[in-house]
Amino acid sequence: MRYLKFLAVLIGVLIPAMALAHGPTRQKISLSTDVAASPAEVWDVIGNFQDMSWHPAVHSTSGEGGNEIDATRVLTLGEEGGPTISEVLYKYSAEKMSYSYRITDVLVEVLPVTNYSSHLTVIPLDGGGSKIEWRGAFYRGYPNNDPPPELNDEAAIAAVTGVYQAGLDALAARFGSSN
Amino acid sequence: MHWRPGLAAATRRLTLWVLPSLVATVVAAGDFAYVTNQNSDDVSVLDLETGTELRRVPVAGKPAGIVVDERGRYYTVSPDSKTVRRFDAATDGVLAEITLDGGPMGIALDRSRGHVFVSDWYEARVRVLHADTLAPIAALQTGSAPAGLAVSPDGRWLACAERDADAVSIFDLGTLSSVHRLPVGSRPFGLAFAPDGRLFVGNVGSDDVSVIDPVAGEVLATVPVGARPYGVAFAAGRAFVSNQYADTVSVLDLATLAAVATIDVGEYPEGIDSTVDDTRIVVANWFSNSVSVIDATLLEVIGEIGTGDGPRAFGRFVMGGEER
Repeated sequence: MRYLKFLAVLIGVLIPAMALAHGPTRQKISLSTDVAASPAEVWDVIGNFQDMSWHPAVHSTSGEGGNEIDATRVLTLGEEGGPTISEVLYKYSAEKMSYSYRITDVLVEVLPVTNYSSHLTVIPLDGGGSKIEWRGAFYRGYPNNDPPPELNDEAAIAAVTGVYQAGLDALAARFGSSN
Repeated sequence: MHWRPGLAAATRRLTLWVLPSLVATVVAAGDFAYVTNQNSDDVSVLDLETGTELRRVPVAGKPAGIVVDERGRYYTVSPDSKTVRRFDAATDGVLAEITLDGGPMGIALDRSRGHVFVSDWYEARVRVLHADTLAPIAALQTGSAPAGLAVSPDGRWLACAERDADAVSIFDLGTLSSVHRLPVGSRPFGLAFAPDGRLFVGNVGSDDVSVIDPVAGEVLATVPVGARPYGVAFAAGRAFVSNQYADTVSVLDLATLAAVATIDVGEYPEGIDSTVDDTRIVVANWFSNSVSVIDATLLEVIGEIGTGDGPRAFGRFVMGGEER
């Protein structure tokens, strides 16, 4: 309990610095899943930046700007009034079935990363199915030297991997795994 | 005696390495790129003439910063282990090594005075190290989060991008004293001196480049480029700026500062440098695990060479001349 309180205070102190400094080594991950549905069917579900209801952790999406560059969205996680992640779209191509966005605001208690950017794309497979690929680039949650374990590089990689895996698993269940 | 396929394969690989390097020596051609791969803990040595990766040199501690010395040496900075190393390019052996405190990040070389400069991301200073032994000599105070470093072509100035101070400091290389400190765009990270002596600074946060007169200490112009400009290099009378989020390189005319082209490269382009003959630009694609080679006159990508995982090449990483 005391430890948690300390952590909360520590994080509170660090938040103003979050927007500035970052750790020394940017991390990257890339996860994908192959599904039986056609690329068009998959893109129809995940290609709208304003609707992330396909991800099981997302309770609601609200935003502005549709799928235009600089469009914004706020994801509410879990339940009404749950923690939020604010994001902005910086690349979008319906033709290539891909978009890129970055996080503009998130507490490190929610997702222990800073300077996070992400890329989601649907790639046609031979035989009519689709590969859904989700990539992320980010720094750990702790911007200074010698991070605590819950805010280090490994924690950041584990957290983002968990988010991507949960989303891709839900899509595989929805569209049918091609394997 | 047992047949050892592993050895046979190794011998074949060796032959493949030796042949191009012999050719390179004979015709005294190609430059070599020393690309720090931060995620796989090594340096890719690339032959830019043949477009091949010659070897990977293990470098522990997540190397990012790099500077080459045309006399056949290269230096790396590993921020995770806080280690600076000096390598012999002929053998890839470590000639000197030091572990610092703070957060070592960018690196630059003043060969004539025998100084290596290393920015300290966490302690707002630039370390001055002995270029041969890496022994600390002095420290220069900077603004918050010093990152990119550059030495001017006339050997007079050291420039330091202060990312969290939105400023650039310029030091006199002879006296090691601060000469100017001036505000630039938002979150300056990488910077480089043009052949004409002007300083170009990539502002990650404001998606532009500040062009500075280092003698007068004033910002001459601020030029918009692509999203998240990271590094700047020069060739054929142009400036080339790597744009991390746009997966492009912006090309500016050095005479007019007008944008003349935007070139698609790999994903997350970062470190960027020119070949010694001024004809090509090499840019490291951090997410794609490759470098793109750009013809500086045609303004087209003419080749892509694979690297290790997470190439940063943060600094001057192209070495001229024969293989060393």
